[in-house]
Amino acid sequence: MKTSIKPLLYTCALIIVGMSGCTNNRTSADEKKKVAIVVSTLNNPWFVFLAETAAAQVRALGYEPKIFDSQNNTALETEHFENALASGYDAILFNPTDADGSVANVKRAKDAYVPVFCMDREVNTTDGATSQILSDNYSGCVALGKYFVQTMNKKGKYVELLGLVNDNNTWNRSKGFHSVVDNYQNLQMVAQQSAEFDRNKAMEVLESILQAHPDIDAVFCGNDAMASGAYQALAAAGKTNVKVYGFDGAEDVIESIRNGKIEATGMQFPQLIAEQAAIFADEYFKGKRDFAKKVPVAVELVTKKNIENYLAYGKRD
Amino acid sequence: MQKSNMRRIKLIKYILTIALIVFVAYNSVYFRKLDEVKAASPSKSFNPKSFASDFYKNKLLPRADSAVDLNVLISILKTQPDEAFKKYSNALAIGNIRYFLVKGEGIIHSKSDDAVIVKLKGDRGETNVNIAIEFVYGNAIRDASGLMNLNDFSNTAEFNSISESINEIIRKEVLPSFVRDADVGSNVKFTGAIEINRKYVDISLIEILPIDLSIQN
Repeated sequence: MKTSIKPLLYTCALIIVGMSGCTNNRTSADEKKKVAIVVSTLNNPWFVFLAETAAAQVRALGYEPKIFDSQNNTALETEHFENALASGYDAILFNPTDADGSVANVKRAKDAYVPVFCMDREVNTTDGATSQILSDNYSGCVALGKYFVQTMNKKGKYVELLGLVNDNNTWNRSKGFHSVVDNYQNLQMVAQQSAEFDRNKAMEVLESILQAHPDIDAVFCGNDAMASGAYQALAAAGKTNVKVYGFDGAEDVIESIRNGKIEATGMQFPQLIAEQAAIFADEYFKGKRDFAKKVPVAVELVTKKNIENYLAYGKRD
Repeated sequence: MQKSNMRRIKLIKYILTIALIVFVAYNSVYFRKLDEVKAASPSKSFNPKSFASDFYKNKLLPRADSAVDLNVLISILKTQPDEAFKKYSNALAIGNIRYFLVKGEGIIHSKSDDAVIVKLKGDRGETNVNIAIEFVYGNAIRDASGLMNLNDFSNTAEFNSISESINEIIRKEVLPSFVRDADVGSNVKFTGAIEINRKYVDISLIEILPIDLSIQN
């Protein structure tokens, strides 16, 4: 009899140990909760600011943050999600690489009961993220489009540099801009090409476009990194009279607007977005569940006329 | 004879191999225009034009009748700006940009390509406001009404297309007759939306995006 009970006890013990491993290893009530901050790229100062601000706010709220860089690679992003879920992170503040490609990652976290709060970039599902805090790109680019028409005196040739074609922000910005500009027949878009939100790529793309269209009057860029690259290409070609318009509110572009090198940008508020995402995670830990699925954040037009009101990245003065 | 047969078989093999490579290559790669990707985003079942038309007639115009009088709003913005924003402004986005639904009456002072400048009645003639006649774009009108919620729509592109359609109604149906009849000195009644930055309140350059306009000569 004695010998037949032993294996049974071992089996029970193994099942218990196994079950504790299979449930999740998220932090208990006494431990500091852990928050993963998964960001599309840290190769752009705007996203570095977003990630670091989120981490600082998470820390200020008493939790433990860790930043993961997806390097604009959805496969790497998936690895980060798998690691974060396996390592017992309690929430994910997420800046996706791809509106469609990142959906599976968000759903994986949801299945593991880990809340995801999207920052700045959207995923194409309402059944995944707990909440998505997104810049109102469309309205921001309507304001830019209006300013573009006014400063161009309703006529001229221009180039549009788009961001990543699989990112919703790219098209919301482009659509906002064109919802105004396309009503003016004397404003002619001679080229529209993606430079993937990247400064160097924008420089290369514009250099190539300038070969075919040396007589352009303006370049509208879907972000400030591309605006800086475009300005660099124009300066190298001796065309500093060509007007450049960006979007973000990055440090170098704010300086360039002040110096008259760049015409305007749409100021996003990554500080507000990042802090709000961390506050939402905190509220979630404290029991709140009824979050708005999408929370837009206003974008403000910055030109030479009002530049004194603004600091880079919408930092509070 | 055998040699020539071998050659023929070899030739057929080459042709078949090349055909296979061309077939596989052709079916492996496809190109889509950026415009097509762009057009594909809003859902096909949603019709923003009919939605906007119904919204404008049955919800926005009735709601605009109960908008705050612009003179009252200006006076509160001067003395108690926080109260004015709390009581009368709407915005779907968090941040400093807020929208007000307003109504009022005034005398047309002058006209430019972009705006009709109106001297408001009932404020000792101190305040001029611009009624936009050129740049009626963006989400100000939709959001000032406080009647819509982004989370009722499946994506932001769909939601923004409603604004485009409302603005188009105003540009095509409201503005042409107004611009034609708006002579200097005429009396104008208006309802519309205004945008004010809560952090930098500037009431010296109020621009009204019109919802409804009528001239009384």
